[in-house]
Amino acid sequence: MKQVKMAVMMLIITVVLPFAVFANGGVDVDESATASIEFWHAMSGERIDLIQSFVDKFVAENPNIAVDVQYTGSYNDTLNKVKSAYKAGNAPDVFHSYEIGTLGLINSGIISPLDEMADKYKKDIPWNDFFTPVQSYYKYQGSHYSMPFNSSTPLVYYNKTFFEEAGLDPENPPKTYKGIREAALKLRAAGHETPVTWNLHSWYFEEMICLQDEPFVNSDNGRGSELPTKVAFNSAAGQKVLEWWVGMEKEGLFLDVGPGWANHRAAFGSGEAAIIMSSSSDVNRLTAALAEKGWEMGTGYIPRPEGAKGGVAIGGGSLWMTNNHSNEEELAALKLISFISEDESQIAWHKGTGYFPVRKTAMDQLKKEGWFEENPNYLTAFNQLLDSPESLNTAGGLLGIFPEARELIQSAIQEMYAGKPVKKALDEAAAKANASIEEWNDIMQ
Amino acid sequence: MRQSTFNNKFLPYILLLPTMFILVVFLFYPAIETFRLSFFKVHPWTGATRFAGFYNFIKIFSNPEYLHSFVLSAMFAFAVIGLGLFFSLLIAILLNQKIAGIRFYRTFLIWPYALSPAIAGALFNFLFNPANGVLCYFTGYRSWLTDGRTAILVVIIAAVWKNLGYNVIFYLTALRNVPQAALESASIDGAGAIKRFFYITFAFLSPTSFFLFVMNTTYAYFATFGLIDVLTEGGPAGSTRILIYHLYKDFFVHSKTGYAAAESLVLFTLVVGITFLQFQTSEKKVHYQ
Repeated sequence: MKQVKMAVMMLIITVVLPFAVFANGGVDVDESATASIEFWHAMSGERIDLIQSFVDKFVAENPNIAVDVQYTGSYNDTLNKVKSAYKAGNAPDVFHSYEIGTLGLINSGIISPLDEMADKYKKDIPWNDFFTPVQSYYKYQGSHYSMPFNSSTPLVYYNKTFFEEAGLDPENPPKTYKGIREAALKLRAAGHETPVTWNLHSWYFEEMICLQDEPFVNSDNGRGSELPTKVAFNSAAGQKVLEWWVGMEKEGLFLDVGPGWANHRAAFGSGEAAIIMSSSSDVNRLTAALAEKGWEMGTGYIPRPEGAKGGVAIGGGSLWMTNNHSNEEELAALKLISFISEDESQIAWHKGTGYFPVRKTAMDQLKKEGWFEENPNYLTAFNQLLDSPESLNTAGGLLGIFPEARELIQSAIQEMYAGKPVKKALDEAAAKANASIEEWNDIMQ
Repeated sequence: MRQSTFNNKFLPYILLLPTMFILVVFLFYPAIETFRLSFFKVHPWTGATRFAGFYNFIKIFSNPEYLHSFVLSAMFAFAVIGLGLFFSLLIAILLNQKIAGIRFYRTFLIWPYALSPAIAGALFNFLFNPANGVLCYFTGYRSWLTDGRTAILVVIIAAVWKNLGYNVIFYLTALRNVPQAALESASIDGAGAIKRFFYITFAFLSPTSFFLFVMNTTYAYFATFGLIDVLTEGGPAGSTRILIYHLYKDFFVHSKTGYAAAESLVLFTLVVGITFLQFQTSEKKVHYQ
């Protein structure tokens, strides 16, 4: 037996190792060379301290590396600052972007693709350990450009106490459009005037198109060999979502609370609303808000039309490396973002914020600890994600002008609230988006 | 009084240098750069440029949303200036009386000016937001900010309120400078309170009104951004998206640098134009002492 093992080992050493070393043509950098890097992120509040604690741990383990970590405002602010800094020649080594910035950044000319960097410095990123939906979102034409960091999906939150009072099953939340509307009618009959709400955000609309396994844009949902040229959100699937959503608003079952992330939470916390949608990273916050009033909170999958077979796409953000830095700095940056994606940081991140850990091993460890028995609502979000079938549509659409497309969709929904027919408003938004896509594709060439 | 004289020819220039430096770096250079970029297509990330002639201008002026924003801004400015000057003059007249506790009232009425537009926006959001706005509760109407027809009203009221203190200070000072002798002789001539106000006081106030008109135009076009961002984000459906907000979205969210540069040039021309026109037409009617 021993000889066989030895033979196999020898075989590995002589056949595989030379490939590993020479095939990828990496560079040799002194691992212990000193480097000083900058890291800009977009997480506010107590999350600033949490990220700082990851960085502190990283620096303690890598005393040759100094990291200047900065909170640089919202995702949008951070991207704008990165742009200006890049033009001035002092871009941060690592920055944080929202998921919808992905295609823009891949084509921006200012980033170093992650897989290229990993090859260059012979660092192995265990992609198989990342959850499939996370990987499929961030993988573009076979390779990874950024490190998944904070991931979330929308989730339905409902007030169990109100459900019980209205004669609804508190352990079995509605999962379809029809189900939500019927529950809303019963809740209204029980004295809740406008029982349903969520903030004006295109994200829900995008996810509800994924749930029907339909694309958001053309060219394989933005993941094909050509850049997307047209949006697809004004399809029958898109209309179906908004006929239902705006229909409930027209019936007075849905309260329009406008944009932003505060109002729908407030309406849910005050008992004004009994069913809302929000980010899965709101579990802690909303559980606490309802407990304060002595109510119990439940969570459910986001609704779909009867028979729809799609799933949710991952939202959130990832960490990017900018180009034009010294080898030492690049290596340090690569080590930092790898560290943040590892189990220890991801578990602390999940517990501290409610974002998913992006790695399977991190999840296993949480399960072993019994975390989900104590926090069953987190399991809902996970199961919703893991129940999602894999396809180009559920991977999530990619689009260079995604931020603008969101604005257009949100404006269109407001026009629908004010009386414009769903199809007309969606078609107009799509036409505007298409014109912008054409310009963007022209400028980016 | 004896005036000091400087014999050094270069001293004035040296003394001006810090100011000029700041102006060049933070004002002139960006302004020239904006002017230049408005004729280019600009890469959103690297800033690489491609000459495009009048492309950006043609595009923005053929966009119905921009034209809507153009008209909306004019109406918004008209309302903010009109209501703002009317109410501040009214308040200034009331504050110009000799009543007990007048200093106290004065201080409180001038207070809103000390707030930043974003804070003023947050205060109005506290009153009008659809989830838990205090006034939504008392009026029984939820859609103050989510219905386009009322959202613009709330934004106008907030903008007027925010700038009231500034206008009141100037009017109050001007009122104190109206010569009592003129008012007295008018009343001896038999002019009533109303006539006295319009023929004497108002005439003496005209330089201040003119100054405030110019300042409020700039305020309505530029400085109300924070209010709108906090209250409505330009919505619902563009009903509060004035030019400056449109520009912000195009540059900071949509990364359309060329458009944004062109829009900023348009905005600049517009405000300079209004001020110039105002100088031309009102100069004759303004009585400086």
